Amino acid sequence: MTDAQYRSGEKPVWCPGCGDYGVSAAIMKALGELNIPKNDIMVVTGIGCSSAISGQFSTYGIHGIHGRLLPIATGVKLANPKLTVIGAGGDGDGYGIGAAHFIHAARRNIDLTYIVMDNEIYGLTTGQASPTSLIGMKTKSTPFGVTENPINPLSLAISAGATYVARGFSGDPNHLSMLIKNGITHKGFALIDIMSPCVTFNHDNTYDWLRKRIYKLEDQQHDPSDMAKAFEKATEFDRDGSKMPLGLFYKTSKPLYEELDPVIMEGPVVGRSPPTTAEVEAVLKEYM
Amino acid sequence: MNDITIRIAGANGDGIDSSGDLIAKVFLNVGLNVFAYRSYQSIIRGGHVWHQVRISQNELHGPGEKINILVALNQDSIDLQSAHMAEGGSVIYDGSKSNVDALKDRGLNLVNLPMLDIVLKNGGDPLLKNVVAIGAIMKMTGIDIGVFSDIIKSKFGKKGEMIVNNNINSAKAGYDDPAVKNIMELKGDGKKRYMMDGNTALSIGAFASGCRFYAAYPMTPASGILHWFAAHQKLGVVVKQTEDEIAAINMTIGAASAGARSMCGTSGGGFSLMVEALGLSGMLEVPIVVVDSQRGGPSTGLPTKTEQGDLLFVSHASQGEFPRIVVSPRNIKESLYVGAEAHNLAEKYQCPVIILMDLYISEHAESINTFELEGIKVDRGKIATKSDGRFKRYEITTDGISPRSFPGTPGLEFIAPSDEHDEYGNLVTDFNAGIDKYVGIRRQMHEKRMRKIDTMLKEEKGVFVPDVSNADAEYFFVTFGSTTESVMEAVELLSPSGKKFGIISFKYLMPLDVEKTKALLSGKKLIDVEYNFTAQLAYLIKANTCIDISHRILKYDGEAFTGREIADKALELVSKW
Ligand SMILES: Cc1ncc(C[n+]2csc(CCOP(=O)(O)OP(=O)(O)O)c2C)c(N)n1
Ligand code: SF4
Ligand SMILES: [Mg+2]
Repeated sequence: MTDAQYRSGEKPVWCPGCGDYGVSAAIMKALGELNIPKNDIMVVTGIGCSSAISGQFSTYGIHGIHGRLLPIATGVKLANPKLTVIGAGGDGDGYGIGAAHFIHAARRNIDLTYIVMDNEIYGLTTGQASPTSLIGMKTKSTPFGVTENPINPLSLAISAGATYVARGFSGDPNHLSMLIKNGITHKGFALIDIMSPCVTFNHDNTYDWLRKRIYKLEDQQHDPSDMAKAFEKATEFDRDGSKMPLGLFYKTSKPLYEELDPVIMEGPVVGRSPPTTAEVEAVLKEYM
Repeated sequence: MNDITIRIAGANGDGIDSSGDLIAKVFLNVGLNVFAYRSYQSIIRGGHVWHQVRISQNELHGPGEKINILVALNQDSIDLQSAHMAEGGSVIYDGSKSNVDALKDRGLNLVNLPMLDIVLKNGGDPLLKNVVAIGAIMKMTGIDIGVFSDIIKSKFGKKGEMIVNNNINSAKAGYDDPAVKNIMELKGDGKKRYMMDGNTALSIGAFASGCRFYAAYPMTPASGILHWFAAHQKLGVVVKQTEDEIAAINMTIGAASAGARSMCGTSGGGFSLMVEALGLSGMLEVPIVVVDSQRGGPSTGLPTKTEQGDLLFVSHASQGEFPRIVVSPRNIKESLYVGAEAHNLAEKYQCPVIILMDLYISEHAESINTFELEGIKVDRGKIATKSDGRFKRYEITTDGISPRSFPGTPGLEFIAPSDEHDEYGNLVTDFNAGIDKYVGIRRQMHEKRMRKIDTMLKEEKGVFVPDVSNADAEYFFVTFGSTTESVMEAVELLSPSGKKFGIISFKYLMPLDVEKTKALLSGKKLIDVEYNFTAQLAYLIKANTCIDISHRILKYDGEAFTGREIADKALELVSKW
């Protein structure tokens, strides 16, 4: 099956060379291979250059507000767990303004796939520091350099309880597509953090800069079921700025929120008819 | 005597609330009208709390003023409550713990009931003290002690015989204690009545209308709704306690987009966090119901006290303009219907509906004779079934309402964007921003959304106008939401005054049918009554109708608005008119 069916055909808004083109292509490829009916897919995005990816889809979708894509996606999934729900947004969106939701979505282990186009900058607002900007980075809002430690989304996700934690590179769409595809089929909360360069506002973390540092975990026989090893690999760049592993850091199997919730386990609440008068009367009786 | 008020007072942790509930239940079960009101504090142990039950053969609209029977569980309760005693009222106290010397010359009936002693003989649970007092109250008011046994058996039957017997024996001991004398005969009509608070009624109404999703972050006084849904989720409602109120409303938007009737609830502080997403629901045209149960503000304010200070806030919250409906139930019974109606209106007009409750209506309980459930109909609004070509989710229609579709339906896919968009949902804000054609689309889209207000005013006949009672009166109280009940009581109290008072009460506050509202208000002598400092309803009325209501009765100390204080102030205003 081709991935064309998932494409809206709308012209992307991104600058030429933006990493998000590669991300879009990788998601489409993954969907094409999975061949999920497009009416069963809901893509939820936030606000940012990256979140404008929603316009590329011919599926159902919500292009929400800044930082809130995870709660919106969670609501969709809780109401109709039969849908394939994919969240996609930026580093500012997910690790800055939406950081609380990120942690809680991870610990809930709802069956969502969360794709973050991490360019270590605020692109849409023309280049301010983001929560993943590295110390010392000069941006419009930090002309003397960033002074706060960057968030490590990978180790944060693992410690928060995410059950699938991966990092991809938009310059390698085939590898990325594999990570996304496995993230979608994974049962549980899957984070795919993607190094997706902003060619316009981030002149530090460029394609070249990244290519010099990245290597694939698969090539080193990393065991993603080993949480301690996963932390070690997830923090490698923090300790040694010359190496940045890509691939699947951590994967485990935990019960889904949907399987534990006493209502959702009995099937989606959407489509259920309203209660009968007799049912309501039975409830009222409790108060007599 | 046909209208008595019983207050039980003690410290947090003394079981004051459950005792208050039991007292109410006793009188409810013999067929009397009951109104229960409590005063509590933002602490879990210690301090001073009370629960009050007013009982009458007539329907009640307020918590009662003076105390006819006080159960004082500690010295504080005697010291702090004695000022509120009715003439000749009774004080039940335990002489081994409290001293009532200060009350000696006030003509009160002082009942020295050895609650602690009796408890020690009946299993020793200190909370049984309250039960001893309940037995005494039943003797004093002429209620058969068997009524209590029946309640305890159905309430604690599952917990075992010992608990049941200890309770019944304690109550009997209180009933039979020589210090306790019968002082009145309260006769019920034997009819069965419901008894619930506003949060419960609202929740049941929402459930009845098919609400399938409720999200909230705990906050007094809205937490009762979360607790109700959590306790009843097996009826088929997904209940989510979220990380914050931002998540609560955004999840609600997600669930509603998926096709479930969805609601979230909070108090003003949490509503403040929800504001951005409120606009999102307006822009995406996703139907949601948001409950704001107000408490005293600003900021953390009065967490356990009431206020109507959020009216203007919820009416205008969030950037830009979009249709919204604001409704404030005027009594507990109406809260149930509003819980249901709100979901119909949200889905018909694809906009947020805000239910404005307050601590007073959310948390006090009342007896209710009947609910007319037949009136609850479910109308899910326009839903698309097919599309020729690409689905126009935001189709420009004459009534402003565009049929919606739910994910899962083949052929009706669309992306709902928070940016301004065209009929398909394509953004008009990127490449197209500023280009004539798209400037036009923006105009059309904005008008399409705003047109829904005209449509609802046209379709919902008589809904967006206030109700008038005593149309031939000389003076009219103008009020909204829960304060309406207090005003009703005031009108009853004013009837011997010779001046005739009516009520113009607002249930729906936004939108307003301006012409009809204006017609109802103009040429009348109006007194605005609301629970805030700035007369927000009067402001809203003035903004809509240019009618200035300068006579005002306002309260903002957090305590219940009594009919008496409204009546007294009204007479004062009228005397200077
Ligand atoms: C509540 C709110 N605050 C601020 C903004 C402005 N804003 C839009 S996108 C953005 C940051 C985008 O950064 P990121 O999420 O990393 O996306 P990118 O553009 O880099 O892909 C900001 C601050 C907004 N839309 N909403
Ligand atoms: S500003 Fe940066 S992130 Fe935004 S589209 Fe251009 S390159 Fe991409
Ligand atoms: Mg970014």
